[in-house]
Amino acid sequence: MKIKYLTKDPNWVKRVEQLGYGYHSEDNIPYWIDHYYYSISEKLVDQIYLATEELWQMCLKAVEYVIANKKYALFHIPNFIQHHIEKSWENDAPSIYGRFDFAYDATKNQLKMLEFNADTPTSLFECGVIQWYWKEHFFGNKKDQFNSVHDRLIQSWKELKPYLKGSKLHFSCVKESLEDLTNVEYLRDTALQAGIDTKLIYVDDIGWNGQHFVDLEDEAMTAVFKLYPWEWMVNEEFGVHVINDLTEAQWIEPSWKMILSNKAILPILWELFPNHPLLLESHFNDPKGMPSYVKKPLLSREGANISFVYNGRTIYETQGDYGEEGFVYQELAALHRESSGYSIIGSWIIGQEPCGISFRESDYPVTTDRSRFLPHIIE
Amino acid sequence: MKKRSSKAVQLLLITSLLASCNKPAPKAESQAKQQVFMRADSTAQYTNVTNQYEQQRSGTGGMGSALLWYMAFRHLGGGMGYASSGIKPQSVVGTNTAKSNAYKSATTRGGFGSTAKSSNASASS
Repeated sequence: MKIKYLTKDPNWVKRVEQLGYGYHSEDNIPYWIDHYYYSISEKLVDQIYLATEELWQMCLKAVEYVIANKKYALFHIPNFIQHHIEKSWENDAPSIYGRFDFAYDATKNQLKMLEFNADTPTSLFECGVIQWYWKEHFFGNKKDQFNSVHDRLIQSWKELKPYLKGSKLHFSCVKESLEDLTNVEYLRDTALQAGIDTKLIYVDDIGWNGQHFVDLEDEAMTAVFKLYPWEWMVNEEFGVHVINDLTEAQWIEPSWKMILSNKAILPILWELFPNHPLLLESHFNDPKGMPSYVKKPLLSREGANISFVYNGRTIYETQGDYGEEGFVYQELAALHRESSGYSIIGSWIIGQEPCGISFRESDYPVTTDRSRFLPHIIE
Repeated sequence: MKKRSSKAVQLLLITSLLASCNKPAPKAESQAKQQVFMRADSTAQYTNVTNQYEQQRSGTGGMGSALLWYMAFRHLGGGMGYASSGIKPQSVVGTNTAKSNAYKSATTRGGFGSTAKSSNASASS
C-alpha cells in the first residue's frame, strides 16, 4: 500500500462537478484528491474483504447480545425506544449499508477496526461514483478498483423492494448540508434504478398528523430512508412519535443500528471477542491500564472531542460538543503514514456484502470532516 | 482475475438535474448585478434570491454549484413541487389549493431536525 502520483489534470474541478460533485473543496482546499492515490495489492483487498465480512458477523452477534441482555443503559438509549429497537431486530427491518473504518499497519500487515459507521455513513457518492469515474479517466479498463458500490446499491434495493412498506420510499436529510443531500440523492438515484418509487423530503419538513408521519403533500410516510442519526431523532420533539406511529413506518437504517453506531459497541465487542486480531482493546469508563489509548465520546461524530494519550500523556485533542454521554477508551492504533499524511481505510458493506473501499487522509492521526478523500487502484 | 469494480456507473437523477440546471441562462440586461428570482409553484409569485445567489457563487464564475444543487433538489417532492424555506411562503404555494390545504391542515412540522440546526452539523459520519 503506497502513494503514487499522477500528472495533475488542470480540469479536474470541471470534471468532477460535471458528475454532480459539488463539495470537492472547502475554502479552496481540496477535499477530493485527484492527483495522487493509493496503490494497493489484490491480497490487501482480499484481506479487507474478509475482515469486513467477519466484523459484520461479529457486530450482528453483539447486537443480539445487547438486546438479549438489555444493555441499553451503557449506550444511553432512552427507555421509550428500546422496544422499537427490539421489534426492528426481530422483524429483520430493512437495512442498506454501513462503513467500517480500519487502521492498517503495513509492517505487521494488520487491520484493526477503529469504528463502525452503521447509521449515517457518508462519502458514498465520492466512493461509488467519483472514484470510479476517476479510475476511468486515468486508467480506463486497464486497472481495477475495489469498488462495486454502485452495482451493490442497485442490487440491494432490488432485494429490499418486496419488503418495503407502502408504494413509496421517502428519502430524507438535513437542508443545510450539500454533502448529505448529495449522498441521499445518490442513494435515491440507485433506488430509482432498482424500480422503487421515491420522494425527497427534508427532515425538518416531515410532518406529524397525530396518527402518522406525513410528507409535504400530507401523504403518509410508510418507509423512510433517513440520513439523520437515531440518537438525534429520539431526543427531538417527534422522537416519541416513532413509537406512536399507527403506520409503523419502516426507518432505514433501522433503529437497531443505534447499537452499532454507538462507540459503546467497541468495549462490548472486546468483551465478546477478547483479543480478536481485528479489534482494538476497548473499555468503558477508564483505560484499564492501557498506557496509550484514544478517549472517544459514545456519540461523537466526525472525530469530535477525541483525546489521544501516548504513554500516559495527552498528545492531541479535538474540540466539539460531545462527551456528556460518557466515553470509551480504545487502544491507540498505528495509522498508516505517508509523507502526505495519516490514512484510514473505509470499507463499505452494502446489502450484507463488502463491496468497496475509500481512503481518508489527515495531517493529524484523527479523521475529521476535513480529512481528504483519496482514490485507489489495485495493481 | 475477476474485476472488483462496477461495470458501469450511470446516474439518472443527479446528472439529469444538473443538465437541466446548466442550460444557458438568458443574458442579463445589466452586467452590474444579475437578479435571480425563484418560485416553487407555477401559480406563485417569484422571490428575489439574488443575495443567496451572490453568496454561493463559485470562484469559477456562473451560478455556484452548491446553489444549483440546493435549489434543484428542492423541487423534487412530487406532483405539487416542493416547499423551500429559501424563498418566501407565497412563492411556494401560490394559488395551488391542494398545496395550500396541506399547509393549513393540523399537521405539525419541524419536530425533527433541531439537533442539526442547533449544532450547525452535518448528519454524516
